[in-house]
Amino acid sequence: MSGHDAISGQDAPAEEPRPRVSVARWAADLAMGARFAVTGGRESWARTIMTAVGVGLGVALLLLASSVPTAYALRGERSDARAALGFQEDPKPGPDTIRLGQASTTYRDQDIDGLVMAPDGDSPPKPPGISHIPGPGQMWVSPALKKLLDSDDGELLRERFPYRTIGTISHDGLSGPSDLRYYAGLSHKTFDRGIADYRIDRWGTKNAGKPNPLDPALLLLIIVGCVVLLLPVVIFIATAARFGGERRDRRLAALRLVGADTHMTRRIAAGESLFGSLLGLAVGTALFLLGREIIGGVEVWGVSFFSSDIVPSTPLALAVAVAVPASAVIVTLVALRGIAIEPLGVVRNAAPKRRRLWWRLLLPLLGLALLLPLAGGFGSGSAGGDRKAYQAAAGAVLLLIGVTALLPWVVEAVVERFGGRGSVPWQLATRRLQLSSGTASRAVSGITVAVAGAIAIQMLFATVQDQNTERTGQDPHRAQLMANVPVADGAQARDAFARYRATKGVRDVLGVTEDYVSDVHRDKDDPSTYPEESLTVADCTSLREVIRITSCENGDVFLVDSPSYYGEGAGFAKPGAQVNLSFDDEGEPDLSRKKLWTIPASATKVKPRQDPTGGERTGIFATPGAFDVADLPDPRAVAMIRLDTSVPDATEYVRNASAVLSPTMDVMRLSSTSQSEEFTVIRKALFIGATATLLLIGASMIVTTLEQLRERKRLLSVLVAFGTRRTTLSWSVLWQTAIPVVLGLALSIAGGLALGVMLLKMVGQPLAVDWTGLATMTGVGGGVILLVTLVSLPPLWRMMRPEGLRTE
Amino acid sequence: MTPAGSLLIATSLHKTYGHTPALEGADFSIHPGEVVAVMGPSGSGKSTLLHCLAGIVKPDSGSVHYNGRELTSLSDAERSGLRRGEFGFVFQFGQLVPELSCVENVALPLRLNGTRRKEAEARASAWMERLEVADVAHKRPGEVSGGQGQRVAVARSLVTGPRVLFADEPTGALDSLNGERVMELLTEAARESRTAVVLVTHEARVAAYSDREVVVRDGKARDMAGVR
Repeated sequence: MSGHDAISGQDAPAEEPRPRVSVARWAADLAMGARFAVTGGRESWARTIMTAVGVGLGVALLLLASSVPTAYALRGERSDARAALGFQEDPKPGPDTIRLGQASTTYRDQDIDGLVMAPDGDSPPKPPGISHIPGPGQMWVSPALKKLLDSDDGELLRERFPYRTIGTISHDGLSGPSDLRYYAGLSHKTFDRGIADYRIDRWGTKNAGKPNPLDPALLLLIIVGCVVLLLPVVIFIATAARFGGERRDRRLAALRLVGADTHMTRRIAAGESLFGSLLGLAVGTALFLLGREIIGGVEVWGVSFFSSDIVPSTPLALAVAVAVPASAVIVTLVALRGIAIEPLGVVRNAAPKRRRLWWRLLLPLLGLALLLPLAGGFGSGSAGGDRKAYQAAAGAVLLLIGVTALLPWVVEAVVERFGGRGSVPWQLATRRLQLSSGTASRAVSGITVAVAGAIAIQMLFATVQDQNTERTGQDPHRAQLMANVPVADGAQARDAFARYRATKGVRDVLGVTEDYVSDVHRDKDDPSTYPEESLTVADCTSLREVIRITSCENGDVFLVDSPSYYGEGAGFAKPGAQVNLSFDDEGEPDLSRKKLWTIPASATKVKPRQDPTGGERTGIFATPGAFDVADLPDPRAVAMIRLDTSVPDATEYVRNASAVLSPTMDVMRLSSTSQSEEFTVIRKALFIGATATLLLIGASMIVTTLEQLRERKRLLSVLVAFGTRRTTLSWSVLWQTAIPVVLGLALSIAGGLALGVMLLKMVGQPLAVDWTGLATMTGVGGGVILLVTLVSLPPLWRMMRPEGLRTE
Repeated sequence: MTPAGSLLIATSLHKTYGHTPALEGADFSIHPGEVVAVMGPSGSGKSTLLHCLAGIVKPDSGSVHYNGRELTSLSDAERSGLRRGEFGFVFQFGQLVPELSCVENVALPLRLNGTRRKEAEARASAWMERLEVADVAHKRPGEVSGGQGQRVAVARSLVTGPRVLFADEPTGALDSLNGERVMELLTEAARESRTAVVLVTHEARVAAYSDREVVVRDGKARDMAGVR
């Protein structure tokens, strides 16, 4: 019988008076503990390695988290340096100016940034990352784009770039390794063929680097997100420091037998933990460096960083280096508080003290007290922004820690009420929890914090999402793509539509060609005051998509009144009226070279209809039989394209067709809603963090469960000897995990809802519970537990072997 | 004593762990109600013989007949069922489930066999009374002395009314006084219920409670009936 069993039943002896201990004694004891961490054979090493890996994982995650601000800043600096922002007034062409056109495109949902350029002189400014401006027909590409173009996957994309690659853009011209970017050279002659252009005399901007102040709700989301993601990591580190605790206690009992006093054994235990956590720091640093390299090659949801960008902030890294070993020692000492290590074994308090409720309640109440004054006051423009941010973070931390602190009390209080009723597995599980619910509660607490926080974030998230998601008015059922085709005249527009119609994967093209007309029957000195109206030319099929007409034949003309006119003489476009199609270079009606057209007397008035892009058109609508599109002097062509969804890559074929029409033309995919970019990035970051955190918690729970099983190896073998079925013990493991988890989830739902309500009040939003989010988060938490149980079953079955009965 | 009328007969058992032979042609038999001590030095293969006899471990070769059934040809589930219903076990240490109370520990084999809790605990209480540990029924194993714990284990091994009780160094962790009391109670109860007892021990003092001794040396078992 173990010493543990033999002498327990007595109360722990009274604490002996603390003698004065020299620093040298402390150091010697700590060193002895450190020696035990490695010299106790395979078992010691196993425990030390488990602690080191556990602490290391936590440290690596903390170091990665502390690198995020620097990484984003460095990424932002490079993006700012290559910004090619047009100004209200372009610089005059000169030796040091360059003509640019935005030529960004999308390939299979990947955005590719591109600029076409033509230098005006000998010394044009060049963007960072390239050695010289590409000549006409030449192109610089980012390494990621080069890889894509060279791959089989990029075959279709190659058609879009009729340029010769002359080099790759270097690191300082890219935001991250997965940046898809190119600079292509065009001749001025090509630019002159209707390409939208602008000029710059320098790259980069000082102002672009300064981020706009974040929306308060988004700021709050980030603060709470960080708290939620990092708290479980801290809990995980605390759990890792206790790995193998029971075996260590027995080893310490042997030390007591040879003369070590209680305080000495505690110092030795602290030394052992300290060594494990210092090793953990080293492992964490190594994992961080490894993670940094991996992150350098990985793109997650469109965001990538260079390895060299992942640099932890110095104060945060120092805090991790000091706090992690210190917390490991504190956790060990606190864990030893409830037991007395005696020469003949470890005495645990036979009747464990009841957990106290008051301080556990105090934490969430304090958190609420900090959050309450912020209700309705976290809005933009409110004073004391920094102080409020800290207050919000502190409140959220206290509330979430409070939820964790309450968990052991709740588990203890609930399992105490379970009698010995129920099946054998249930009885084994509940009795085990009654004996010691601390280990189970600790394992679950990480999940509890993550779920509570995630529920709160989801609530805030749903509100912010509503705020940031705008209805575009676009109708993707009527057309899937929209292209603004730059054309020099109406004939080009007709050809462009024909090209789209002939493109693989296109089912139909709704093409409208527009130009402006002005009133001619006014005799004013200032032509800019002449009212203008748009003239849209399209076939009947296309017209039906933009105006409400019941019948239409080629040769018909329709009129739609504008809801409001900014000039005088509203409604000049009437049946039989003459209009002027001629405009000068400044865009004013040209009265000296009038080009007149008479609206047919048969033109009928109709109502407008929202087109597939969500826009409403007014003015004159003519079929080609009534107005020859080739007569439009300065038209704009809009193609709304219906795709044959059975053709793979239909969108890419259309984009390739567009690139032939103009290198700067982009095709827009129609979508009924749009989200703000900022919001999307934060959502992505939160999901990345939540996934990493849950995986970490899962790993910690697996280690804890396996350790528990290892401790009970002999007992499991005995149970097998007298015929216990595998299923009986498997169910008991499941119940033993499930009971604290269910209680933990219930508590986290309550805590999460409380925090969510507070956060919504803080940003002055109406209360709304995101039930789907709540169910998802609860499901994810439960899923992790199920996974942990499943993973622990094979080792459980392995340990249920009679070999465990062998003592020789 | 001849195998005729034996309840459990093992013939020519061989078992090797890795490259270390534990049993090399061991034979064994026991009659109903008989108490047989299996003796031998440390590492001689006593426990392995017990594990093979109980169907906990499958021998590499040889046969184990229990009541006309060949144990080595039974599946794991069938052998487990047999252990639950027909066999009882007492080990040296680490055998009581620490989180269950003593009475729940004793009732556990009955409950594993499907007996309802109330009835199982009533039968367990009766056995605990018989083994003089009724006063610790509602304490946990960690709260009772080693001797009491071992008597609880004996009660648990007998509660199902096994036909064979396997005891592996049942007094190994007890002082002599406690050890003797446990042996008295164990053998008395076994003889009353005609339970055969396979008693693995290296102590002559404990073996003295048996009807017959078998010595295991170098993986072979030698019946000492004639020697005694």
